[in-house]
Amino acid sequence: MESVIAVNSLVKVFSDKTVLDHLQFKVYKGEIFGFLGPSGAGKTVTIKILTGQLSPTDGSAYVFDVPSTEINSPQYLKKLGIMTDNSGLYQRLTIYDNLKLYCELYRVSVKRIGDVLEMVQLQDVQKKNVATLSKGMTQRVILARALLHEPELLFLDEPTAALDPVNSKHIHKGLLELKEKGTTIFLTTHDMNEAESVCDRVAFLDKGKIQLLNKPKRLRQRFSDATMTLELVDGSTVVLENGSENAQKVYEYMLANQIVSIHTNEPTLGDIFVHVTGRELV
Amino acid sequence: MNVSMRRVYAIFVKDFKELSKNMYVLTTLLTPLLLAFVFGQAETVSLKIQLMIINITFVSVTAFVQSAIIAEEKEKNTLRGLMMSPASTADILGGKSLLSVILTVGTMILCLLITDFHLINEPMLLLALLISLVFYAGLGTLLGLWTKSLLEASVAIVPVIFILGMGTLFQKLIQPYPLLKFMEYFPNFQLEFLTEAVEREASFGEVLGYFGVITGWTVLVLIVTVTVYRKRSMDE
Repeated sequence: MESVIAVNSLVKVFSDKTVLDHLQFKVYKGEIFGFLGPSGAGKTVTIKILTGQLSPTDGSAYVFDVPSTEINSPQYLKKLGIMTDNSGLYQRLTIYDNLKLYCELYRVSVKRIGDVLEMVQLQDVQKKNVATLSKGMTQRVILARALLHEPELLFLDEPTAALDPVNSKHIHKGLLELKEKGTTIFLTTHDMNEAESVCDRVAFLDKGKIQLLNKPKRLRQRFSDATMTLELVDGSTVVLENGSENAQKVYEYMLANQIVSIHTNEPTLGDIFVHVTGRELV
Repeated sequence: MNVSMRRVYAIFVKDFKELSKNMYVLTTLLTPLLLAFVFGQAETVSLKIQLMIINITFVSVTAFVQSAIIAEEKEKNTLRGLMMSPASTADILGGKSLLSVILTVGTMILCLLITDFHLINEPMLLLALLISLVFYAGLGTLLGLWTKSLLEASVAIVPVIFILGMGTLFQKLIQPYPLLKFMEYFPNFQLEFLTEAVEREASFGEVLGYFGVITGWTVLVLIVTVTVYRKRSMDE
């Protein structure tokens, strides 16, 4: 598989604080890579190094086979879409005027404005001044701006942090559509549902180190306690270990028509994070 | 360094729309016009006063508007967006300077007409004004990059107004102090000496030194500005 991002033993130290401690991972073309961790774990620092806004203290990071320290040049920047905490909008201008400026900078048709505003569901308010928008709407405009030029690689730093569930779901649908078109997405979040629903692979970042990296499904299987819970008609629940030895018991409950539901007891990504790091993902 | 006129123009249009809604910065345009109007009431306006108005136009319109535009971009986190786009340093700095340059030219023409500036058609003086314009645009960009907000930029411009805008008025005050002699090498003093020489109908050779000093300042400011700008594209 072709890698778009390759990080090798990446270290970042601020003063005497090690923020990233020998990170090692690859992001492959066309995947949605989730970078999960609590606030202060080093997610944004990683994005800033990958987009050339910070230089590594040690180790290396390559984006499109180019050292991240050299990615900050026009020929590469047009391939990137970036949405981070320092992405601002012009408050006195309308949504449309903000996006029009970026159409000119990226040399794309202004017709794209309609497409991206539809994706973030803001097409009806494009003539509104940015200063009058809610935090969630502002976030959606910044996301729309990052998508304008159909970048090959999209960096999204907590893209749905200020959004309600309906809008988050819509954004997730849009991200999956982008993935279908071949866009690679590097997504940081501390929303485990978001990670589960859109990410092909996730990395757990804690204290500057990657604690786990795999597909969400594999992680759930790995940390599963291999049991199932049967919910019965009388309101009680029965927990059974997965395996042939319990097949007869399940069969008997079914014959007696006592089962309301059966589900396997796989942990959520949040449970796994707590298990691995010993702390909540907030 | 590549320059895309389409990008320069897009940034200019954006700045124009933003500034047209920013009354705080727009009112600074009135300062030189007000001075020109007040002094223009006299029967004759001395060359020294006319030059003070020219220098104040450079400081309060070129440098201040420029620094305000850049500082506000930093304050609102929009400058990084431009830096992380495919626009080159020249596209961004060119686009961001165009508005303050156009406003300066318009304001200065009005001020010179109001004060009946008789050297307005002198090619040597026009060239010196053009180089000074680039110097003040660069200085404004630098102030904008150094400050973090519009408010800070408004404070940072105050000493610049005194030294470069009104400094020539205090020439007699600094003459007894040899230590302050270096101020005569500031671009505003050099512009005044050059203008006086042009009025005496001096040859180009005689004013070459003044041109050299003003150009030297301009090149220095541009080098520092581009260096600081590139540093600002990083978070180190």
